[in-house]
Amino acid sequence: MFKWFGKVNFSPCTKVSEFARHLKDGRLMGSRCKKCGLESFPPRADCSRCLSSDFEFKEMSGQATLVSYTKIVAAPSGFENDAPYVVGVVDLKEFGRLLAWFGDTVPEEQISIGMNLQVVPRIFEEMEEIRVYYSLEKPGTTWSTTNSAT
Amino acid sequence: MELGLEGKSAIVTGGSSGIGAAIARELAREGCNVAINHIRQNAQAQKIIDEIVAMGRKAFAVETDVSDYAAAEEMVAAVVSKFGRLDILVCNAGINWDGVIWKMTEEQWDKVIAVNLKGYFNYNRAAALVFKDQKSGKIVNISSINGIRGKHSQTNYSASKAGEIGLSKALAKELGKFNVNVNVVAPGMVMTDMARNLPAEFLNAAIDETVLGRIAAPDDIAYLVAFLSSDKARHITGEVFKIDGGQYI
Amino acid sequence: MTRVGIIGIGHGKFGRRSDANVQELAFEAFREAVADAQIDFNDIDGSVVGSVPEYHKQRSLAGVVQEYLGLNPQPTWLTEVACASGSAAIRTAWMGIRSGAHRVMAVIGCQKMTELSTAEILALMGRVGDVQWESGFGTTFPAYYALFAQSHMHQYGTTRKQLLEVAVKNHFYGARNPKALFRKEITLEDALGSEMVSDPLQVYDCCANADGAACVILAAEDVARKNSKPVVWLDGLGCASASVSVLRRPNLVGLPSAQEAARQAYEMAGVGPKDIKVAEVHDCFTIAEIMAYEDLGFCKKGEGGRFISERQSYIGGQTPVNIDGGLKAKGHPIGATGVSMTVEIVKQLRGEAGERQVAGADVGLTHNVGGIGQYCFVHVFRRE
Repeated sequence: MFKWFGKVNFSPCTKVSEFARHLKDGRLMGSRCKKCGLESFPPRADCSRCLSSDFEFKEMSGQATLVSYTKIVAAPSGFENDAPYVVGVVDLKEFGRLLAWFGDTVPEEQISIGMNLQVVPRIFEEMEEIRVYYSLEKPGTTWSTTNSAT
Repeated sequence: MELGLEGKSAIVTGGSSGIGAAIARELAREGCNVAINHIRQNAQAQKIIDEIVAMGRKAFAVETDVSDYAAAEEMVAAVVSKFGRLDILVCNAGINWDGVIWKMTEEQWDKVIAVNLKGYFNYNRAAALVFKDQKSGKIVNISSINGIRGKHSQTNYSASKAGEIGLSKALAKELGKFNVNVNVVAPGMVMTDMARNLPAEFLNAAIDETVLGRIAAPDDIAYLVAFLSSDKARHITGEVFKIDGGQYI
Repeated sequence: MTRVGIIGIGHGKFGRRSDANVQELAFEAFREAVADAQIDFNDIDGSVVGSVPEYHKQRSLAGVVQEYLGLNPQPTWLTEVACASGSAAIRTAWMGIRSGAHRVMAVIGCQKMTELSTAEILALMGRVGDVQWESGFGTTFPAYYALFAQSHMHQYGTTRKQLLEVAVKNHFYGARNPKALFRKEITLEDALGSEMVSDPLQVYDCCANADGAACVILAAEDVARKNSKPVVWLDGLGCASASVSVLRRPNLVGLPSAQEAARQAYEMAGVGPKDIKVAEVHDCFTIAEIMAYEDLGFCKKGEGGRFISERQSYIGGQTPVNIDGGLKAKGHPIGATGVSMTVEIVKQLRGEAGERQVAGADVGLTHNVGGIGQYCFVHVFRRE
């Protein structure tokens, strides 16, 4: 279901398609090569170290630190109505790196390189189709206000 | 069948009598804490509350006009505060005020639309705010076969009941991605106080229409609502369930 | 193995060329290069075209260009590595000649960009990052380089003013280059007041999309030595790749592909950074030029801002850079840029650069980056 990922999706076909289904359920997944143990985020099916394709998803905490950021003013087609928006690149606590929009819990003036953030799975609420993404929020922000797993 | 409703929290509007009371009792039997609202039925409401508390559940009643927009949010907040959570909304409160259109006053129209249709909007919306964030929830809106077919002298009632169906289907589309189910239960004639006050020929005409030759008891409706409020029904949404003994096929 | 020399150069006018299609643009540059090389174009035994196909309606560009230039039935093919396509074409031709398979090859870098709207170009160019994990968030090419700029500013104290001083320099020289898109000088005030594109990069930090073509003709040593003009030799080549995605780079303050490509090229040519008398670097954005000073070893890591502030990259400074206006003032017809850089270096080393001549330039360098640095080609040229 990778076509669910992102406001606009250019790559619906991928071996790690289930990532998007996990994200819709509020879980951020990296990958782990079952043969040699190499861990990756973003997740990848094929191991770049031992060339095995035997992988499993591994849940990430979403805790992260900010590497760099920019406020995009001139937007590409499909995003004109969203501009300006701020994207950040974060190092994830366990491994890997991620790029995402900043969410409402982080005021623009507080953004600074090195700050701690929480990556939170999100749904595009007003789109008719199911579309998921993740956003950068202040530490402690949770996906749902109650921790009910239905 | 184990419905798995133990510990869940529900709101039933118009839960002091008739179908609403039966639903409130049945949900409580299945394990729910239940909050009901009513208008000018304090004694009846208290009776339901006492029955539910006696089952070992939590319960409370609010006197309120369901067409009051802000009161809906207040009631949802009260439930979340007292029960710790909200899992199920059953919208049931409704009135009728019949008359052929050339004799129907503006007030007759406005009042029925306000209580039946706007009332459902008020509570569906207030619950959706919680369910969307919680990523779970069940909404059951009680409509009527008279919202699917037209009924003589009920331009206002049929419109409101049909409107509840449209509202529910649209809402099912909006809330699906948050794991929230929205369904409609559409009874035919049910033996409630509303029905008991009808002239005999109306009741007989209803029985004649009904292939099962009987009029529903409120519990008949309640069992279906309990099922739809449970995770056994997790794959059902945007559906309209006629429960009319075959009165309108 | 034979040494490879540049015997002919040609350069079309860069800009919004609604007067010509891509093969007509290629022809302008080619004819100039053939005349400059003083050869019969029938001596050319193959060509390599550097271009990025996605911007054109015409499919399979190499064939169209080859035919229009009158080079059928000689072998031809396309090389594409985003903005480094031109240099990739040069490296390919060099390999063709070094191997003995060819003796004289034409390299044509050509591009039409303005067949697409600005928003379409922004979207398409943004997809040079990781389409699967980044494009869904509306990333753009300027946004990627802005991430580098923020990081460089944070780590080394580089300022917006220093970034824009690069633009001021390149417009200064572009004003003196008849083939450039922008031929007016700008002031730092103009630049600081320009609109924001992706914080901190403003309009004046960014190169412009453009149409254009450039051509160089490479030849094996014995053919080259017959040339009456001084031959410029392609003596050092370096090439390296890096991760496409900024999510897999070691840091966001330099380009590892550039550092490695430079190391290879210097070693092969037997020179070091201080031997480079004039350079063309890939200033797709001002921050890219500042990082290039560091990656190429013209200054220490983190000191790129100071390098421009002290005017070390102007004529008279330590290492003049982008004396033809760079991508900033010339415009950046993607496939043509690497070849355009080469044309300028050859001119400089031959002593033909007129009022933009760097005195005594005998060793020059081109630094051509593809995308966000997933590809980099560094070439070192020498005039004997």
